[in-house]
Amino acid sequence: MSARLSAVLREHHATLSAYALCAVLFVVGVLHSSGFGSQSSIRQMLVFASFVGFAALGQTLVILAGGLDLSVPWLMAFGGVQLSHWASDGIPGGLAIVLVVAAGALIGAVNGLGVAKLRISPIVMTLAVGGLVQAYLLAVGLLKSEGNQVPQAAVDLASNRIGPVPVVALVWLVVAVATGFLLARTVVGRNIRAVGASDVVAHLSGVNVGRTRFITYVISGGASAFAGVVLSGYVGTTYLDIGAPYLFTSIAAVIVGGASILGGRGSYWGTVAGALTLTVLSAMLPLFHLSDAGLKVVYGVVILVGVWLSTSGGSALAALRARGDGAPQRSQEVRSHAG
Amino acid sequence: MTMPARPSVVPAWRPRRVAWGTLTTALILVALAVTDVLLQPALLDLVQIGLLLQTALPLVFVAAAQTLVVLVRGIDLSVGGIFVVANAITAQWVGGAAGSHQLLLLVAIASGLAMGAFNGALVAGLRFEPFIATLGTWTIFSGIALMILPTDGGTPPPILTSIILGEVFGIPSAIVIVAAIFGVWRAIRGTRFGGRIMAVGADEERARLNGTPVRRVKLAVYALAGLVAGLGGIYSAGATVSGTPTAGDAYILVSVAAVVIGGTSLLGGRGGVGLSIMAALSLALISDIVSAVNFDVWVSVAASSGLLLVVVVVRALIERGSERSRA
Repeated sequence: MSARLSAVLREHHATLSAYALCAVLFVVGVLHSSGFGSQSSIRQMLVFASFVGFAALGQTLVILAGGLDLSVPWLMAFGGVQLSHWASDGIPGGLAIVLVVAAGALIGAVNGLGVAKLRISPIVMTLAVGGLVQAYLLAVGLLKSEGNQVPQAAVDLASNRIGPVPVVALVWLVVAVATGFLLARTVVGRNIRAVGASDVVAHLSGVNVGRTRFITYVISGGASAFAGVVLSGYVGTTYLDIGAPYLFTSIAAVIVGGASILGGRGSYWGTVAGALTLTVLSAMLPLFHLSDAGLKVVYGVVILVGVWLSTSGGSALAALRARGDGAPQRSQEVRSHAG
Repeated sequence: MTMPARPSVVPAWRPRRVAWGTLTTALILVALAVTDVLLQPALLDLVQIGLLLQTALPLVFVAAAQTLVVLVRGIDLSVGGIFVVANAITAQWVGGAAGSHQLLLLVAIASGLAMGAFNGALVAGLRFEPFIATLGTWTIFSGIALMILPTDGGTPPPILTSIILGEVFGIPSAIVIVAAIFGVWRAIRGTRFGGRIMAVGADEERARLNGTPVRRVKLAVYALAGLVAGLGGIYSAGATVSGTPTAGDAYILVSVAAVVIGGTSLLGGRGGVGLSIMAALSLALISDIVSAVNFDVWVSVAASSGLLLVVVVVRALIERGSERSRA
């Protein structure tokens, strides 16, 4: 085996196993029922996965930098409801979408300020801000009992397609490439990882820890609001609890994608695999006559087994490598003690 | 005066710090209670207080469970899942069976303990991150609850309901139960196990070096937390005379909020169940006050989140100030 290939395998072990898991599930689905692999079925899955992908985008960056964003579902609700409100005020749909994403980023900035400047625990800060956003949505009378109408621009964004490919999937691809680039090739990306691995070391090597964390929450706020926009566009209407399932799925996608919840390790491409895996899983449920309850159990088992494999599988691989070239792979061990 | 960075370094110094936190938390509770009584003088009555505590108790149970886990520097997202499984078992199996209610109630109680122990095995045995382990078990337990009881309903055993809604020596059960949780925690805190919980939370490595069986303590704490969260689900089924297999999720993040408002440190080793109970009661008072003055529900949501935010911001500022004065 070429050294280069094995190096790639080792470095991207977690991401690759997430894609492998997704592929295996997909093949099982196709073998079970040929319709599972049809164009319309794949298209549907891509669209649903993109909602998870957008909701988990900020979550990936936040977790990579050692934080956590519990306000995602409320920002998604904000994205849909505020959009419908502004659009009904006469703001053109496209502009309203941009404004909503900007407003979401602003709310994310509040999270960022609390975590970065006041050093409040991310769990607590994003929990409180999420609660305040929820209160705002309940307060200002934006919510209509029959659900809010969303502007055509959001509906188009979520349901149009170019040839066989849904527009929203293309947008997701572009966003994924951009995020992948940001994380792998830019100073900001390197800083995010450095802060997540160890904020003390990052600080000592000249990284502005506070600003780096702040940026991740701003992106998370904007991305979550955008996720709310496309999800509302797809549903055709929006309501307070529209984002509720995404608290779990946004975090689960990141974890299934092989990221460490302690920060420092992971990638957005991993999260993309996580989002696809979770979506394929839920699409398989009718094939196996699984209820919603069954899916919940399967989700949980996948998370636990996936994480267990990606951590102990990773250390097994490292041990194998260590035996090969005599250089012990200590990072794993050091991490677990540091945590 | 120079202060040690870790309270565990000088044990004699710790009680004063905790007393400070207790005082603020108690003050918030008293202020809210006085406000509520001023708005509704009828509240000054054991029966009325009992009714108020009755609505607060499910959260009190879950917050108490969450506190135990947070004290050993963990977090338990699955408390909501454990809550609904015990709730569903109580409503579906226990009530549905003829005769041996007491025995089946033991099954419901044991289910909480077992689920908590499962979390503990993942965290202490397989060294999972608490957040990930309980994220996984949260959804597993929620699914199991829905399998046992697919929709709201079921019939919790009447004897449970009559105990919960009844009185003990003229005092409403709810008051007795809250006092009992307080009392049990105080008792546990005084035992060697209680000391070990705090030691493991304060500094795991030091505790290990001092001969504390860290993993066994953690396993026991998660199991105990499961037991308590399950009791919350059983209580809720009895109090509402119905099972609600989806009710648990709402308590997960609120229980974390209650722990934080109470003053238990998310970094472990500092705080206690009593503080979280006071905070949970404060949150219940907020929504009682809001409905008493006929405000919209958003005011209650805003006030709870606002209280959480104010408490943590003030604490962060105080900590910064003391850091600066120390430097």
